[in-house]
Amino acid sequence: MNEDTDSESSLLVVIFDTSLTQDVIINEEIKLSECLEIIITFVNSHLMLKSNNKIAMITCDSKNCQFIYPDSTNEPGQLRQTDGQYELFTHVEKTIRKNVQQFLVKTLEGEIGHHDSLFGAACSIALCYINRLENEKSLGDKMNSRILIITGCGNSGDQYIPCMNTFFTAQKQNVTIDVCSLQNEITLLQQACDITNGVFLKLPQLSSLLQYLLWVFLPDPTVRKKLVVPPPVSVDYRPFCFCHHELIDIGFVCSVCLAIYCKLSPICTTCEVVFKLKAPMKPIKVKKKKMIKS
Amino acid sequence: MTTSSEDVLLQVSNVRHKKGDGTLYVMSERIGFMTNNSDTMSSCYAYTDVKMQKISSEQKQKVQLQLVFHSGESVIFQFVCPSRSDSVTNRDAVKGYLTKLLPKFQKKVNKELEEKNRMLSSNAALFQLYRDLVITKIVDAEEFWSQHAPAYINKNGASQQQIGVPGNFLVNVKPQTDGCNAIKYNLTADTIECIFRTYPAVRQKHLEYVPHKLSESEFWVKFFQSHYFHKDRMHTGTKDLFSECAKHDDQELKKELSTVEQCEVNLNAFDNTVENEGYGLDSTEASTGSNNIVSENLIKRFNHHSIMVLKATRNNTEQLETESGSARKKIRLLNEDESCELGDGETKKIEKTNINLSKVEQMINGVKNPKTKVRNLHAILHKANSMRDKVCYDILHYRKPPGTTYLTPSAAVSALGELTPGGLLMNGLLEDSQSLAQLVPSDIEKEFRSLYLTICELLRHFWACFPPTTPTLEEKLVRMYDALRKFHQTKLNTFENRIMVECSTLNQQLTAHLNLILNTAYEKYNNWQSKRKFPAGVPIN
Repeated sequence: MNEDTDSESSLLVVIFDTSLTQDVIINEEIKLSECLEIIITFVNSHLMLKSNNKIAMITCDSKNCQFIYPDSTNEPGQLRQTDGQYELFTHVEKTIRKNVQQFLVKTLEGEIGHHDSLFGAACSIALCYINRLENEKSLGDKMNSRILIITGCGNSGDQYIPCMNTFFTAQKQNVTIDVCSLQNEITLLQQACDITNGVFLKLPQLSSLLQYLLWVFLPDPTVRKKLVVPPPVSVDYRPFCFCHHELIDIGFVCSVCLAIYCKLSPICTTCEVVFKLKAPMKPIKVKKKKMIKS
Repeated sequence: MTTSSEDVLLQVSNVRHKKGDGTLYVMSERIGFMTNNSDTMSSCYAYTDVKMQKISSEQKQKVQLQLVFHSGESVIFQFVCPSRSDSVTNRDAVKGYLTKLLPKFQKKVNKELEEKNRMLSSNAALFQLYRDLVITKIVDAEEFWSQHAPAYINKNGASQQQIGVPGNFLVNVKPQTDGCNAIKYNLTADTIECIFRTYPAVRQKHLEYVPHKLSESEFWVKFFQSHYFHKDRMHTGTKDLFSECAKHDDQELKKELSTVEQCEVNLNAFDNTVENEGYGLDSTEASTGSNNIVSENLIKRFNHHSIMVLKATRNNTEQLETESGSARKKIRLLNEDESCELGDGETKKIEKTNINLSKVEQMINGVKNPKTKVRNLHAILHKANSMRDKVCYDILHYRKPPGTTYLTPSAAVSALGELTPGGLLMNGLLEDSQSLAQLVPSDIEKEFRSLYLTICELLRHFWACFPPTTPTLEEKLVRMYDALRKFHQTKLNTFENRIMVECSTLNQQLTAHLNLILNTAYEKYNNWQSKRKFPAGVPIN
């Protein structure tokens, strides 16, 4: 039994949204530092489950995203334990704290913008890291990788296209994306969870964040099948249009480049194809986007 | 030379310009000056060059009007009528015209600037070039726009793409009968274009025959009448204009077939018969032979049509590339299909036409949305800014005081409540009977099963008594009812109490159905009882 399980490891990549303009942070419903403490506890629990489990952490806000852990400049083993804590946990905690703080200081220099956080970019970094580990691992080893996004951002579609592209990449790579939303139903991320078979959870109360993390997100996707976990939410599959970034029920899709528009126009602005419209303003060449049923 | 047929809007004599007296002409696009005793304009200024006009102040003796050009130069017209008041009225008239005319031309200039600005901002490479060449003054701005820019702008313009040929374009012809034997076809320019693009042979014919031998409409009438257009092609008659086309098509199809790699699809293997028919003992081909030819022909036509439609798109891009004189670049992508990987390892190259995107950025990111819809954005940003330092400090120097918890027991319990079946987050799970079955412990399940068995047995007897026509049946009915009641009170209720204690999450779920069937029985019994109490003339005993 041991031989079978020892070759199997689980990689958890946590993407933590540190954008200070999130409503939960602004309204002081939860402190960012508190949130970070909880995440550290959570990743340590993941490491504790099995000795060859791995974690990685990436922070992102509306302008930057950065790899936080593992840190190549700071290898484990340099730290000495202080209060009887397992050295690896101390190392994880110290590295994460230091790098998150550096990341925040870096954003301190620039103006804070109010946009969506860069989940697409962060997921890309995560996928690259996962891919590297997949290539480096020795033959016969099995690694289950997944991404957990923790955010309190709103429901807007600024990043729709880059995000969707990375989500589909994740699906191809067999990487599950889980989302723990601190406040809103985020359509974009719900779709991410749905296509990668992950769990989308909008927290009913912030005070028990750790409990939710441990209960819902700690088990591997393979284990989850055997557990009673929250059922998948019904996903709003409407896309965001290219032109105004708004959710649309009926859209117009360019037959050449597949760009989605909320209004019919005779010229596609993305590929500059000119449609021949037989009757004025009657959608003939433009197909109606079908609503995909959830 | 400088005179032109432009309309002269105003003509003012007694004007002195460059030490010569003459007449000033205000025209629609220029202002001109003609000296006396001459019939050509001695000087002429286009409004597009004029930056602004100035007039001399009232106090001054001379009545003058000055035009300042974009280049910084200026010219002066002096109005020299015998009386000063005449000069002033003349000048004011000119001034009035100019104030009306100049803004139009300035707008034009601005538009040009805007256009250039737009081009620069939308084209990063061009902007870089502009910065390197013009701002550093290596190249004149004029020269830049006339010499260097077109290459970049045209690159954008050349990406004019055509929409492909829709596969169903022949359907759009929509033949209509007019009741008699005539059929009306609706042909549009689009459809004709599609036909030409898909069937080059027809275009060839069209070029040959129209308009020397046939008129446009005659040609198309012939086309639709010919067998070539119709379902069953029979090119036996040599009279037909399009029989050559058909032969040409057949050759094309054979050529196409030969290029198809056998490893992907074995086209020859496509046969319309089923191997297993008759268990392979007798061949069915002979009997269906005549049928097959018709359908085969039809399938061939369809395939050919599809091939031609696809080719139309391909030809199109190739044509474009050769026209522009650039080397034909074929995008060859390795076919990553499994079928090839599993094959002999020979990588097959596929020609693909690529989309010319004028704005790649937009394809990847969508249009940048400048407006954020959030209200009091400033307040939020301000607060976020003010919080930053504290957060940074907190994260690095946060020392857990002993006893600090991030999760209070009560919060944990309430979260667990939401996450266990029946909780807030587990909606939709309870309808799932499978999960309900998983939640029931085996001993309870056993007991539950026996409960069902007994109750069903009792109910069966109970219902068998209906309609109670004989006294023995009535007696049995009453007995069964009592038994049910008794069983309900002693067994079912105790079972329900036990569930409440042992697995509270199930609640009433488990026994809901049992209660339902029992209550139905009770209701029936009560109905019968009330009828019996007020008998409609049926004596008991």
